[in-house]
Amino acid sequence: MRYGFYSGCSYRSAAGYSESVDAVSRALGIELMEIPDWNCCGATAFFSVDEFKALILAARNLALAQAHGLDEIVTICNACYTTFRKAIKVLTGNPQKLARVNEVLATEGLSIERTIAVRHLLDVLYNDVAEEVWFEKRPQNLKDYTVAGYYGCQLTRPWGDLDVPEHPGILERFLERLGFVTVEHSAKTLCCGAFHSISYADECRPLISRIVSEIQFKGADLITAVCPMCQFNLDAGQQMFGLAPLPVPFFTQLAGIALGLKAADLGLKKLLIPIKGF
Amino acid sequence: MDEVDLKHIFFEKFDGRKILRCIQCGTCSASCPLTDQMDYAPRELFALIRDGEMITALRSNTLWYCVSCYYCIVRCPQEIPVTDLIYALKQMAVQQGLCPACHKLPDMYHSFTRVVAQYGRVNETVLMARYALRHPVDALGNLPMALRMFLKRRLDLFPSRLRQPDRIARLLAEAKRQETP
Repeated sequence: MRYGFYSGCSYRSAAGYSESVDAVSRALGIELMEIPDWNCCGATAFFSVDEFKALILAARNLALAQAHGLDEIVTICNACYTTFRKAIKVLTGNPQKLARVNEVLATEGLSIERTIAVRHLLDVLYNDVAEEVWFEKRPQNLKDYTVAGYYGCQLTRPWGDLDVPEHPGILERFLERLGFVTVEHSAKTLCCGAFHSISYADECRPLISRIVSEIQFKGADLITAVCPMCQFNLDAGQQMFGLAPLPVPFFTQLAGIALGLKAADLGLKKLLIPIKGF
Repeated sequence: MDEVDLKHIFFEKFDGRKILRCIQCGTCSASCPLTDQMDYAPRELFALIRDGEMITALRSNTLWYCVSCYYCIVRCPQEIPVTDLIYALKQMAVQQGLCPACHKLPDMYHSFTRVVAQYGRVNETVLMARYALRHPVDALGNLPMALRMFLKRRLDLFPSRLRQPDRIARLLAEAKRQETP
């Protein structure tokens, strides 16, 4: 299995994300081809202030991927995922805009030629990997961990196609396939405050507190995240505001544990709140 | 520019006419995670604009508290792209010089876009350093966490950049050239 891979700006400093993605994809024989010379997707900062520049930043990555023969891109971040999918939606719905974007990209010898699919790694691990693969080396003690899935806000809205926007279940189904016990809760897609946690920390405190206390109330030991920003806000936020503390591993770290990979290869030590037993 | 002109620009240039579909049900305001902080919740913002109160709307802190979670968009029964219209109002507020200095998000966006133009990618350390020049108190508050991140080997002190970082600056300059009538 081979995919184009867009790691994005927050990947390297995220708590063990790159380590666990590397280890899990190696174990599963998934080849993630990084888009050479990628740039920032533009995130919401660019869409907020200048749509045309936002489209160009996103489109350059898509065009680079196509220039390298990649027609399917995998992301690991909710913001990159939604930004790309939004840009694709805007460009395919408006040929004039696409032509103008291509005109700018042409200064670098690039253009968007074909449709391109953007997927989240959770989609790939859940839908493209055979179910039995997860059962082969699964440790026996995973039932001791009750995990709450945290999707964050941008993954399922409004340009995503991974699951329904209000009450998705793909992450829980994935975690159960891995062998963990999951809980249903009402904070799955509530916003963590994202980037606002820096400029408006006090205002974001209730958001993080609401998510963590709901999850704690429903009896989970762990919260799993699928986005670097969500992971940081929940992990660091609990420490800053004196909440729970519940460890917040990435879903790929839990996938690595289920595959029987060594804890040292999954970057678990980079979590601010450690998982007991690891 | 008077309020009638501003409303005209919002309606015609930015698709703002879509707010005429609003039935004032308040689903957007009820779904917004930061609604408590807003001087005018999204429903009220649209009501203001329909009444022609464009200056009040453009000065509203709502534009800058919007965190782009898109909950309002997926829930709006009238399929109004609330977040995107708020983006349009942000752009207008910046263009008209109407965003009050007390809002910190414009400074964060400014730092963010400058870092992208310079390196092609965002590096948290550089971004925070830039933002700290404008808001030192926020930066001081974040220092203990920055230290912990450093100890966890998560602070990227050497920005990852493109092979030719000036490519992005050139593309953005070309975009600006095309956009300027």
